[in-house]
Amino acid sequence: MVREELIRRSPLRILEKSIHGGVGVGNIAVIAARKGTGKTACLVHIATDQLFQGKHVIHVSFASRTDHIMSWYEDIFREIARKRDLEDAMTVHDDLIRNRVLMNFNQHGITIEQFLKSLRAMIVAGGFAADTIVIDGYDFEAGDPESLRRLRDFAKELKLTLWFSASTHREQSEVDENGVPMLLHSYLDHLAVIISLTPEKKHIRLRVIKDHDQYRSEGLHLELDSKSLLIVSE
Amino acid sequence: MSDTISLMRNIGISAHIDSGKTTLTERILFYTEKIHAIHEVRGKDGVGATMDSMELEKERGITIQSAATNVTWRGHGINIIDTPGHVDFTIEVERALRVLDGAILVLCGVGGVQSQSITVDRQLKRYGVPRLAFVNKLDRTGANPFKVRDQLEAKLGLNAVMAQYPIGLEEKHEGVVDLVTMKALYFDGGAGETIREGEIPESLVDEVQKYRELLLDAASMFDDELMEGIMEGEVTEEQIRRAIRAGTVANELCPVFLGSAYKNKGVQPLLDAVTGYLPSPGEVENRALDIDNNESEVVIESDAKKPVVALAFKLEDGQYGQLTYVRIYQGTIKKAGDLYNVRTRKKFKVGRLIRMHSNHMEDITEAVAGDIVALFGIDCASGDTFCDPSLNVSMTSMFVPNPVISLAISPKDKAAADKMGKAIGRFVKEDPTFRSYVDEESNETIIQGMGELHLDVYVERMRREYKAEVDTGAPQVAFRETITVRADYDYTHKKQTGGSGQFGRVAGYIEPTGNDENYEFVNEIKGGVIPTEYVPSVDKGFRTAMETGTFIGYPVVNVRACVNDGSTHPVDSSDQAFQTAARTAFRESYMKAKPIALEPIMKVSVEGPSEFQGNIFASLNQRRGIILASNEDGMFSVVEAEVPLSEMFGYSTVLRSLTQGKAEFTMEFAKYGKVPQSIAEELREKYEKARKEGK
Repeated sequence: MVREELIRRSPLRILEKSIHGGVGVGNIAVIAARKGTGKTACLVHIATDQLFQGKHVIHVSFASRTDHIMSWYEDIFREIARKRDLEDAMTVHDDLIRNRVLMNFNQHGITIEQFLKSLRAMIVAGGFAADTIVIDGYDFEAGDPESLRRLRDFAKELKLTLWFSASTHREQSEVDENGVPMLLHSYLDHLAVIISLTPEKKHIRLRVIKDHDQYRSEGLHLELDSKSLLIVSE
Repeated sequence: MSDTISLMRNIGISAHIDSGKTTLTERILFYTEKIHAIHEVRGKDGVGATMDSMELEKERGITIQSAATNVTWRGHGINIIDTPGHVDFTIEVERALRVLDGAILVLCGVGGVQSQSITVDRQLKRYGVPRLAFVNKLDRTGANPFKVRDQLEAKLGLNAVMAQYPIGLEEKHEGVVDLVTMKALYFDGGAGETIREGEIPESLVDEVQKYRELLLDAASMFDDELMEGIMEGEVTEEQIRRAIRAGTVANELCPVFLGSAYKNKGVQPLLDAVTGYLPSPGEVENRALDIDNNESEVVIESDAKKPVVALAFKLEDGQYGQLTYVRIYQGTIKKAGDLYNVRTRKKFKVGRLIRMHSNHMEDITEAVAGDIVALFGIDCASGDTFCDPSLNVSMTSMFVPNPVISLAISPKDKAAADKMGKAIGRFVKEDPTFRSYVDEESNETIIQGMGELHLDVYVERMRREYKAEVDTGAPQVAFRETITVRADYDYTHKKQTGGSGQFGRVAGYIEPTGNDENYEFVNEIKGGVIPTEYVPSVDKGFRTAMETGTFIGYPVVNVRACVNDGSTHPVDSSDQAFQTAARTAFRESYMKAKPIALEPIMKVSVEGPSEFQGNIFASLNQRRGIILASNEDGMFSVVEAEVPLSEMFGYSTVLRSLTQGKAEFTMEFAKYGKVPQSIAEELREKYEKARKEGK
């Protein structure tokens, strides 16, 4: 399969369709789930899909070392390439790497000012024309809505799309009247899209909770394959 | 496991420049009673430390080459391997790390975890070497071992825990409290050789108790008995030691020791920790590559009775000829026994077998698995594996990276010329990534290596050790060429001008190998259209053609050349004719195969304060760099990027001025990458011009 077709047939097109064509520039999306449900895999798959489309991605991690994240990308890429029998996979792979930067931070040792300054340094001084930033391991419990507002302003200014992961704990399984995890309740103003991952019998189901100005709790025909850790259509 | 092996330790002492590594080594040699006077590193008495045998190292205060020294401490034999800390000496570093089973990470009590400590630690991590930390220079103003421990955890991600508590700091530094025995230790006598045990000073009791609990907590994770003991309120020293050892050997705990080597404090307890907590060779699993089985990994055992496997990790020119340091991984090396060099495929007899002490050598008759010894008069190169003639395994991959940079050197006078030749001959043997040849056109000697500093060091060594004064040219990047598509060829070489003629026809195709293989020759000749005896001539012709490409004039790599047709003449065909035919066929089809220029791409790692991150990103971006990752932890950032080597000349100066001298960088060869169109065109113009002028 060639690259164009691979993009067109990606299960992520289904996701986009169900959220009015995508998250949108200047917006923030969140994938919420319990620890160990596959948030990082989802983010890496979403980022890889962007990279396939020739877009530039910054992967921010607050939890893992960069070499660890690199191997995530290698694994996900290998799975996609194998599954779709991608032509000239090595060249595509090298292309993708050129458009990806990994940044690792210690959230508790850094202020939002410093964080934004580093991102800006990468994009402006480093000449890295980012389209999408995925942010993994941000601690919403320790964070505050004001920081997220500033991140959204930053995204609007530099024309970025932001994807977050949010870890919900077992004891915080309760949700508000719209089905939004309580953890994210105070952040709602700044979040355009919320997707949850819920373990079902055999798979992990993707569910749209918030789709721009609509609240739904609709199971998508998408799930996370526990073996390949790829998002697949059922 | 035999008794002998459990009493052996092979350790390295790793450190940032100026954290006192050489002084510490010196003190260790002193206390193990092998040398009888202590000389300072840059000593006033001009004798210098024992380990640094090379003049250059003395001058720079750093250690470049690894040397192994055997000392004895309380019934244990310890081999101390000196480890070079700089990434530019990749092969040297890798070899030294290969032979270690444990390490002491020396840190300055004032400077703490410095950028080079991070580099060194990363290397230790890559090889999974368990380590102890020694916080040195506690007598200096501003020394703070607690801060250093915090940095070990934050910057290096180590589970660092204090095993001692300092008694006084800066000018009041008197000794340490051992948190296992709960005794105060003082170091008396002219050179701290007498250890005096005492009670913990009253004023420290509370703090000491706090740190002991931290130590017990951390250690109890590795020993259930200790865990139970703590809950019952009764623990033994032996339980604590066993737990610390288990955590350290598993590389999950890093006990921190304290002192001041210069003031003779804390060295002996550190030696106790080496024998007590670092693993013996028998506790480390080692793997070799099976040459007969596509270099697949096989586990080798530290068993003296099994067939020998040993690695030659260092060569040294001695008074009596070449000395080869080997680490024995399996079996027993015996004087007058037979060994097999896997690389050269030659058998040889072991002559003299030596154990090296810091100031003398001892003749021995045999040495067993785990030990490090030296052999005399063996013809070999560093990195060779010696094994029992019944085996064919190698400790290192046979793959040696190609040099990425070259430098023209010329001797200043006749005397220097001879010495330079001698020096180069030696370096080439020591280091497979260092090469040399004479350029036919300019008649200059060219040396090649893995980086600017790599070559600098060898030029320095020529001056110091061999007294060869040389002039050097500007460093040149080793470009390469390769092809991108398949191209067919069909060429007839015919010559009939008097005497015997020449005839050879070859046909086939060339194509990219698509892998790391530099050259593959495929013989698909059927029906003997080219006689078997001339097929190697065709192969040779291709090889010759590939030495200099016709795109930009550099060696051609990653080509598969297939010959599948041809013709021959009963009288005029010859080896020479077929070589010429293949060479010309290659050159004629080469441009059809759409050649491109390749350049070495370096993996660059820049470390510095986060406030300069913007400058660092910009400087890498301007150098056609691709930023791969950035790790930011509080005030400190590490940026990793891939940058073409040709853009890296003079980077250290630029980086210094961009960051007020607060950032440092290291680089190593990563891969060959395609040269951008515009630069390739420049190279091509230059090549065409030189060719025209040459004609």
